[in-house]
Amino acid sequence: MNMTDILIAALVIFVAPIIGCLYAGIDRKITARLQGRVGPPLLQPYYDVKKLLSKDNMVVNPSQNFYVVVYVAFLILSLLMLVFRADILMIIFVYTVSSIALIVGGMSTGSPYARVGSSREIMAILAYEPILILYALAIYLLTGTFKLSAVVDASTPLLVYTPLIFIAMIVVLNIKLKKSPFDYSTSHHAHQELVKGMLTEYSGPGMAGIEIGHFYEYVFLTGLIFVFWAVNPLIGLIISAAAFFFVTLIDNITARVYWQWMLKLSWSVLLILSIVNIAFLYFSEATIM
Amino acid sequence: MIENTVMLLIAVPILFSLLFVALPKSLYKYLAWAFFIIGVALSVNLVLDGTGVVEIGEPNFAMFENIVLILEVLVILFIIAVSAKYKNWPTLALGIISAAIFAYTFTNAPHAEGASFNIDQFSQIMILIVNIVGTAIILFATGYMDEYEEHRHLNRQKTFYFTMSFFLAAMNGLVMADTLGWLFLFWELTTLCSFVLISYNMDEEGINNGFRALALNLVGGIAFSVGIILLATNDIATLSGIGVYAGTDAAAMAVVALPVALLCIGGFAKSAQMPFQSWLLGAMVAPTPVSALLHSSTMVNAGVFLVVKLVPAFAGSSLGTAIAVYGSFTFVMCSALALSQRNAKRVLAYSTIANLGLIIASAGIGTPLAVAAAIMLILFHAISKALLFLCTGEIEHTIGSRDIEDMSGLVKKAPLLTTLAALGMVSMLLPPFGVLLTKWVSMEAASSNPIVIVFLILGSALTTVYYAKWMGTILSSSMDKNAVHHKKPETYFPLSFLGLAIVATSILVFTIYDYFIRPQVEILLNTAPTVSGQAGQFTSEIGAFAYAAIFVALALAFVIYFATRNMFTPRTAGYYMCGENNMEMDKLMFRNGLCSYDKSSVSNIYLQNTFGESKLTTLGYAISIILIIIALAGGVLI
Repeated sequence: MNMTDILIAALVIFVAPIIGCLYAGIDRKITARLQGRVGPPLLQPYYDVKKLLSKDNMVVNPSQNFYVVVYVAFLILSLLMLVFRADILMIIFVYTVSSIALIVGGMSTGSPYARVGSSREIMAILAYEPILILYALAIYLLTGTFKLSAVVDASTPLLVYTPLIFIAMIVVLNIKLKKSPFDYSTSHHAHQELVKGMLTEYSGPGMAGIEIGHFYEYVFLTGLIFVFWAVNPLIGLIISAAAFFFVTLIDNITARVYWQWMLKLSWSVLLILSIVNIAFLYFSEATIM
Repeated sequence: MIENTVMLLIAVPILFSLLFVALPKSLYKYLAWAFFIIGVALSVNLVLDGTGVVEIGEPNFAMFENIVLILEVLVILFIIAVSAKYKNWPTLALGIISAAIFAYTFTNAPHAEGASFNIDQFSQIMILIVNIVGTAIILFATGYMDEYEEHRHLNRQKTFYFTMSFFLAAMNGLVMADTLGWLFLFWELTTLCSFVLISYNMDEEGINNGFRALALNLVGGIAFSVGIILLATNDIATLSGIGVYAGTDAAAMAVVALPVALLCIGGFAKSAQMPFQSWLLGAMVAPTPVSALLHSSTMVNAGVFLVVKLVPAFAGSSLGTAIAVYGSFTFVMCSALALSQRNAKRVLAYSTIANLGLIIASAGIGTPLAVAAAIMLILFHAISKALLFLCTGEIEHTIGSRDIEDMSGLVKKAPLLTTLAALGMVSMLLPPFGVLLTKWVSMEAASSNPIVIVFLILGSALTTVYYAKWMGTILSSSMDKNAVHHKKPETYFPLSFLGLAIVATSILVFTIYDYFIRPQVEILLNTAPTVSGQAGQFTSEIGAFAYAAIFVALALAFVIYFATRNMFTPRTAGYYMCGENNMEMDKLMFRNGLCSYDKSSVSNIYLQNTFGESKLTTLGYAISIILIIIALAGGVLI
C-alpha cells in the first residue's frame, strides 16, 4: 500500500457516492419523463440524504442502525477491492456481507412489513448469487486466475466469450438494484409497495445511511458490468451506463412479479444460459490472455 | 515425551469416564472443569511434542494386542446381544457378519510384531479439536443435563458422562493410531458410543434411531474391515502405509483402488453422507450435548479424517474425481434440504452433512490447494458447529422450542446467547471467518472440474439463504416482554470460549496454515500448495484474499457505529402498522375490519414444495447410490 493507492482509495470513497447520486438523479429524471412528468432536480437524491440526516433518529430496535453501518462499510470494501482488481470471487463474498446486513437489519426491526420484505430479499439471494459466482468462474476460465487484474490486461474483452453470462448479469443488476419487475423487497419509487418493505422502520440518519449505501452499490454493480469490457475503459463505461439505463427503462415498463416467478426464471433460464456459456468455455478452452 | 502424551490422551479420558461413574452427581461440575483444563493441557502438550511415530514393540505389544482383541470381541458381542434383546434383526444380521469377518481376520491375518501411532500435523489438529471442543461440550453438559432430565424424568447421567468421556478416548485413539487393526477397534468403539448416546432417552424413538445409527455404521464398518483384509494381501497394515504404497504412482494406485474405495465408504457412513444421512438426522433425539459432540468434534469427523488421510491413494485418479463429484452432490443436496427445514437441529444436521460433503469433495479433487482446504474446513467447521449446537440447546431451554419461527425476538430475551449464535452463523457463511475462507479456497481449487464447481456454487447460495433466514429471525426484536434468563457459568463459559475460538482461529488462519496445514499437505502429496503471503493475506496461484482488510472493515464498522451512535440519539418507537395499531393492548396486533384484533405474524419462506424432504430425499438416495457404484466401478476398472 503506497501513497498512490491511498489516494486512489480516498478518491473512490469520496467520488463514488457522487457518481451514485448522479445515477440516482438521472434514474428519477428518466422515470419522470417516461411518466410524462418534469421530475425532480438532478441532485434531488442528495437533498433527500441531507434532509434525512437532520431528522430525529427514530428506531424500533436500538441496534438496527448497526446493520446499516455494516452494509455501507462492506459495500465500500467491495468497491475498493473491485477498483484494486482483487480476487473476484472474494469480492462477491464480501458483497454478500453487505446484502445480508441489510436483510438482517430489516428483520431486526421486527416489523411485519420489513420481515416480509426481508424474506423475499433472502429469496433473491438464491436467484442471483449462483449467477454472480458463475460470472467469477467465467473470468477464471478465460484468464486462468480469479484476480481481476488479468481481465484488464487481457487482449480480448471478456464480453466476446461471455455473451450469455452478460445477459444473466443484466437481470442480476435488475434484481440487485431492486427495480421492477423484481422490486418486491423494497423499492425506490412508490410503485406497488408493501409499505416500504425491508426498510419500513428506517428513517432519519439510518435511512440516509442506506441511501448513501445505495449510491455506492450503483457504482459497484455497474462496475461489475464494466469488467466485461475492461480492456478499453471508454467502451466499458458506455456498456455499464447503457446497462444501467436499460434497467431503468425495464423498471418503468414492467410490473412487479411474484418472487416465485423470479426464482423460476433464475434457476431455469439464467442458470442454464450461464452454465451453457461456462460449458462452452470449458470445451473450447478459450482464453483472452 | 511424545509416547507418554499419546498414552495419556487415551488413558485420561478413560480415567475420567470411570470417575464420572464413581463420584456423585454433585461433583460433576468440578470434574468437567478439571477434564476441560487437562484436555487443553494434554492436547497443547502433544502439539509441543512435535510429530513422530510411536512404535509399540515387544513386550508391551502382546499385552496391548490382546486387549484390542478382547475389546473387539466384546464390542461385537455387545452389538449382537443388544440387537437380539430389542429384536432388531437387520442389526443382528450385520453384527453376525461383522463377527464372521472378525473371525476370518483373526485366523488368517499374518502375525504382527508391533503396532504404531502416527502423530502428524493432521492428528495434532484433530487432537486439539477432540480434547478442547469435546471437553468444552462436556462442561456445557453439566449445566444442561439436570434441566433436561427433569423435563423427561430420567436419571441416567452416569451412563451419559461415562459414554461421553469414553467417546473422547476412542476418538483420540482413532486419530492417532496408524495400525489399521487398532484403528478399526477405535472406529467400532465410536460407533458403539454413539449408539448408547443416541438411545439415551430409552424411549421408542431413541432406541429406533440408535439402532439406525448402529446399523448404518456397521455397514460402513464392514466395508472398512473388508478393505483392511484386501490391503493385507498387499502387505499393507498401516494407514500411512497406504499412502507410501500408492505414492503418486498410477499403477500402484490402481492396485489399492478397491480397498481404498471400501475404506472411503466406511468414512462416508461415519460422516453420514448420502445415502447414510438418516442416522445423523435421527441422532438429534438425543440431548443437545450429544448432537454437538457427534456433529463437531467426534464421530462424523472420523469419517472425513479417514478420507483425507487416504488422499495419496486417489489424488488425480478417476476414483478421486468420482469422490469429488459424490461429495459435492451431497453438499448441494443437503443444503437444499436444510433450506426447507424449520427445526433448528435439523437445519444444523443437514448443514453438517453438507459441509462434510464439501470436505470430501475437496479431498477428492486432490490438488494440494484443495487438500489444504479440506483440513482447514474440518477445523473451522468443528468449532462453529459445536457453538451452534450448544446455542440451540440453550435456546431450547430458554424458549422451550427448537422451531426457528419461535425464535423471533430472541435477541431481547437472551442478548448474549443470541449474539453468540449469530456469530456462529456468520462464521459459517461470511468472510472474514474461517469456514468461508476455506470454502473460497475449495471453490477456486474445484474450478477445474465443471460438475463439482457448479454443485458447489449452487450449494453455497443455498447455504447463505438458510443461515441468513435463521440469523434474521433470532436477531429480530419483538414487542414482547423481556423474559428473565438465568446464566450459568458452566453453560456460558463453553459458549463464549467457542465464540472466541472462532474469532481467534479466523485471525490466525495463516499461522495455522503455516504450522499445521502446509507440512501435512507435503506429507500427503509430496508437494506443498503454492500458497504464499504473510499474516493477513492469502495468495494462491489463482487468487488472493486479503482477509486482514475484511477484519479491518468489520472493526471499522463497529467503531463508526459506536462513535456516531451518540450523535444521533435514538428515540424508540413502536413499529408501524399502517395506522391500525392497537394502542390499548399488545402493540403487535392489527385492528381488523370487524374492530377486533388480529395478531400479526410473519414467517420465513421454506420452499417446502420444492426442497422438502419428501421431494428430494428419494432423489438424493438414488443419485448418491449411483455415484458410489460409479466410484467403486471406476476405481476398480479404470
